[in-house]
Amino acid sequence: MKKSLGAVAVAAAMALSLSACSGSSSSEESATGEISYWLWDANQLPAYQQCADDFAQANPDITVKITQRGWDDYWSTLTNGFVGGTAPDVFTNHLGRYGELAENKQLLAIDEAVEKDNIDLSAYNEGLADLWVGQDGKRYGLPKDWDTIGLFYNKAMLSSAGITEDQMKDLTWNPEDGGSYEKVIAHLTVDKNGKRGDEPGFDKNNVDVYGLGLNGGGDSSGQTEWSYLTNTTGWSHTDKNPWGTTYNYDDPKFQESMDWFAGLADKGYMPKLETTVGASMADTFAAGKSAINAHGSWMIGQYTGYKGIEVGIAPTPVGPEGERASMFNGLADSIWAGTEKKDAAIKWVEYLASADCQDVVASQAVVFPALKASSDKAAVAFQAKGVDVTAFTEHVKNKTTFLYPITDNTAKVKGIMEPAMDAVVSGKAPASSLTQANEQVNALFK
Amino acid sequence: MSTTARRAPLPAATRRRRPFNARRAGAWALLVLAIAVSVLPFLWVLRTALSTNNALASNATSLLPAEFTLGAFKRVFGLQSPAEAVAEGGSGAAIDFWLYLRNSIIFSSITTAGAVFFSAMAAYAFSRLRWKGRNAVFSLFLGTMLVPPIFTALPNFLLIKNLDLLNTMLGLVLPYVFMTPFAIFFLRQFFLNMSREVEEAAMLDGAKHLRIFFQIVLPNAAAPIATLALLTFIGQWNEYFWPLLVASQDDVRVLQVGLGVFKSQSPQGAPDWSGLMAATLISALPVLILFAAFGKKIVNSIGFSGIK
Amino acid sequence: MTTLAKHSRSASAASASPKPQGSHRRLGDLKIALLFIAPAMIGFVFFYVLPTVRGIYLSFTEYNILGDPEWVGMDNYVAIAADPLFWNSLAVTGQYVFLNILLQTALALGLALLMHNVAKSTIIRGTLLLPYLMSNVIAALLWFWMLDYQIGVVNQFIEWSGLPRVAFFGSEAWAIPTQALINTWRHMGYTALLIFAGLQAIPSHVYEVAKLDGASAFQTFRKITIPLLRPVLVLVLVVTVIGSFQVFDTVAVTTAGGPVNATRVIQYYIYQRAFTESDFGYGSAIAVILFLILALVAFIQMKFLKGNESDLD
Repeated sequence: MKKSLGAVAVAAAMALSLSACSGSSSSEESATGEISYWLWDANQLPAYQQCADDFAQANPDITVKITQRGWDDYWSTLTNGFVGGTAPDVFTNHLGRYGELAENKQLLAIDEAVEKDNIDLSAYNEGLADLWVGQDGKRYGLPKDWDTIGLFYNKAMLSSAGITEDQMKDLTWNPEDGGSYEKVIAHLTVDKNGKRGDEPGFDKNNVDVYGLGLNGGGDSSGQTEWSYLTNTTGWSHTDKNPWGTTYNYDDPKFQESMDWFAGLADKGYMPKLETTVGASMADTFAAGKSAINAHGSWMIGQYTGYKGIEVGIAPTPVGPEGERASMFNGLADSIWAGTEKKDAAIKWVEYLASADCQDVVASQAVVFPALKASSDKAAVAFQAKGVDVTAFTEHVKNKTTFLYPITDNTAKVKGIMEPAMDAVVSGKAPASSLTQANEQVNALFK
Repeated sequence: MSTTARRAPLPAATRRRRPFNARRAGAWALLVLAIAVSVLPFLWVLRTALSTNNALASNATSLLPAEFTLGAFKRVFGLQSPAEAVAEGGSGAAIDFWLYLRNSIIFSSITTAGAVFFSAMAAYAFSRLRWKGRNAVFSLFLGTMLVPPIFTALPNFLLIKNLDLLNTMLGLVLPYVFMTPFAIFFLRQFFLNMSREVEEAAMLDGAKHLRIFFQIVLPNAAAPIATLALLTFIGQWNEYFWPLLVASQDDVRVLQVGLGVFKSQSPQGAPDWSGLMAATLISALPVLILFAAFGKKIVNSIGFSGIK
Repeated sequence: MTTLAKHSRSASAASASPKPQGSHRRLGDLKIALLFIAPAMIGFVFFYVLPTVRGIYLSFTEYNILGDPEWVGMDNYVAIAADPLFWNSLAVTGQYVFLNILLQTALALGLALLMHNVAKSTIIRGTLLLPYLMSNVIAALLWFWMLDYQIGVVNQFIEWSGLPRVAFFGSEAWAIPTQALINTWRHMGYTALLIFAGLQAIPSHVYEVAKLDGASAFQTFRKITIPLLRPVLVLVLVVTVIGSFQVFDTVAVTTAGGPVNATRVIQYYIYQRAFTESDFGYGSAIAVILFLILALVAFIQMKFLKGNESDLD
């Protein structure tokens, strides 16, 4: 038995070394059978299970098997699935990843189907549908949800500092003196002796509560860390978006903003980067270590779920150009190019992108669905749970969003920018050091 | 053998009469310290496992459970509805605990039994038999310990794929079941230390190698083999990366992978600490039981393994 | 080779005593030896040699896992030689290995001696083995949380005792020692158990003779325990050194290479290049270099520590 097994292994290994790996391209197209679907957020599982059940009812010859896999393992498992031929037919896709997947021909273009089935792309919140058109002009996904950035604050700390919630709605910011945003942050900061950050005698080395929490250096995108500030100055990550080919970390305007940001830690208003490596920023906030946390809308459930703490949400501050800014990130459902059930997969993706499913998702009040009408329903559902989410939806209504930077080489850009940004935010290097990192980044596109 | 057994207690007995009480007290103090360092984190694990997850952060440094509940344990056994779990700030993901447990037991047992037995055979050949090229071949085997696991993960994955064994128990088990370089190395070191006299006496009696291996070497090395088996089992039990790659489907998913649902599920999120800690305790339980059952045996057999 | 020579020497020394026929028969054990190593050989060839050969091939290619590998000759190696992050990863890994070995071996040896001489209780042994029952990933996550600067329980204790809080993972000075401490915590009992097993295997009459000769405890330790323990100590050292070079799990789930590049150890750098940045050829080339380094280290260790010999002969 062992011998025959060995022989099989030899044969397989030889086959392997001869032809590296031939993706399973053959596919019998049919709209029946079981299709597999992956997502990472366990909180959304009940909603999508509901969608799958409804879908199966409407299409009796198709069933959907949902697998939920946490973010930490999601992408490595998925990549191995592509290589090993065990990838799901349909999966939740992220803007930071899909460029590379499309380039490597792992995604199925769905233009024909979208046209044939008359999917109304204008029904989605503005810009979301365009994100999923690759550099080759083909569509690789239909939008499922979006997120923006807001300021989560500790209500009790606010009131003991004498700051009203209305004040929080009208914060301004500029890179020179930080505007009223910095004033509020300073005032909310309290040292071990009870002195506030804007009072004389404040001990910046023994801070009890920081005005602003810190998640990390923010690497290439600064999604929740600094982009809601830097992008109010007219700066943007890349020359164009999507599919820019030049990054702008060398812009003095950007570097000025980053110097201000790093300065917060130096002033004692924000924890030093080195002290934030460990527990998550949300847990630290709930432990009463920070008064304001800038974070994404997908964290609403986490923040409002904590016991013993009252949380409010304010919009991000208005910048020097008179506008707020928030990164607009969207997810989509994509189809794996190697699927053997193309037609069924397309049907499922279209269903996921339809009002039928997105309304179900909306009703769970976990994330904002991509369809405008469903987004509004989600806001209502959040309201019913006692959470006011206008801070997030306002960005979309007022068109103060900018898109998550989509380019090639995103993983390599991140690999370069992560240590560079850490050095700046931790105060070990001035923001002007980013010019050199920027050269390295832009060299990737030559 | 019988002489060793009789001799063994002697030094302990003489030592007990030693007058150095201060030294002994110091030694005990060190031992207690080491035990404290080993055990205290587990008390923290237990305290967290008995807490309500969304109350943890606001009681970050309280030494007692934050809002005592058994909810986390219920979550691990899949006895809590997603709604209840979310209400406690836990992960709402579905898990099939008993299935994962069964898979883990099968996976760890087969690989441990196979690897230890086959490695013992190889170690015997590398230590007690004389043949041309022995040390060269052994060096090659030893060399595999130097290969970074990350380096072989992908090719091994492709091999299992080509054998069409993805998502099967066989595919999961294959890379481990024939040997582990550590096991061969470990047992060879012990076999080298074994007295040749007994073996040579047997040789004179005309015993064949298989008989020597089964009747003399294996019983004499019972202690190191038991130790190795236990350590291998623990290692296999905690294996994460390979099962994650090869056995992603529910019916072959092992416990460590299955319980990963308590880690952070979304970017920048926080883990379900209570669930994760409860899962840690429960998944360590089978190994603990194993140790409790065989630990004593290991100790005793070490005394009798009478080497010279 | 030298070890081989030594072995035949010790074998002939053994056979110089009563029965010479025994050793004659032993020199021709090839057939039976092949039978004994056959199963292990299958695993060796298919799950170690083949993937390694494949990995070496890939190190000469540009390969992003999803496409086909493309032969680029020595390009990856040339690029690595000029890659400051590679050299940084070597230095960082070196620091880690040094600290980890020092801490782990010293503590484990001490513990094993304590277990052997003071408390032969199974319960104590089991207790010390507890950390090893926790998987690497979970142990790292747990400490990541307990050692957090702001809300970690350990820092709370540090503050209560009047000392300043420590940024265990975040400060560049502490990041690597912290990783070493976590791994020492998890492996200490395990390593101690290995050494303990070795101690138990030392024949008691050797100690009795030493006692009769009036040797002090320290002399006994230096002249008897350490030499007789050598095979096991070598095993432990080789395994921990190699294991330390391959540190990955704890870094991956905690600092992910940071702060800046302070914990970007070689294995993590390989992972980052090969899997995160889909540059499998480059990652493979670093892995090949790591393999060569490890082979050299292991060779030196075996040579100097004479791990193949037992002093019992």
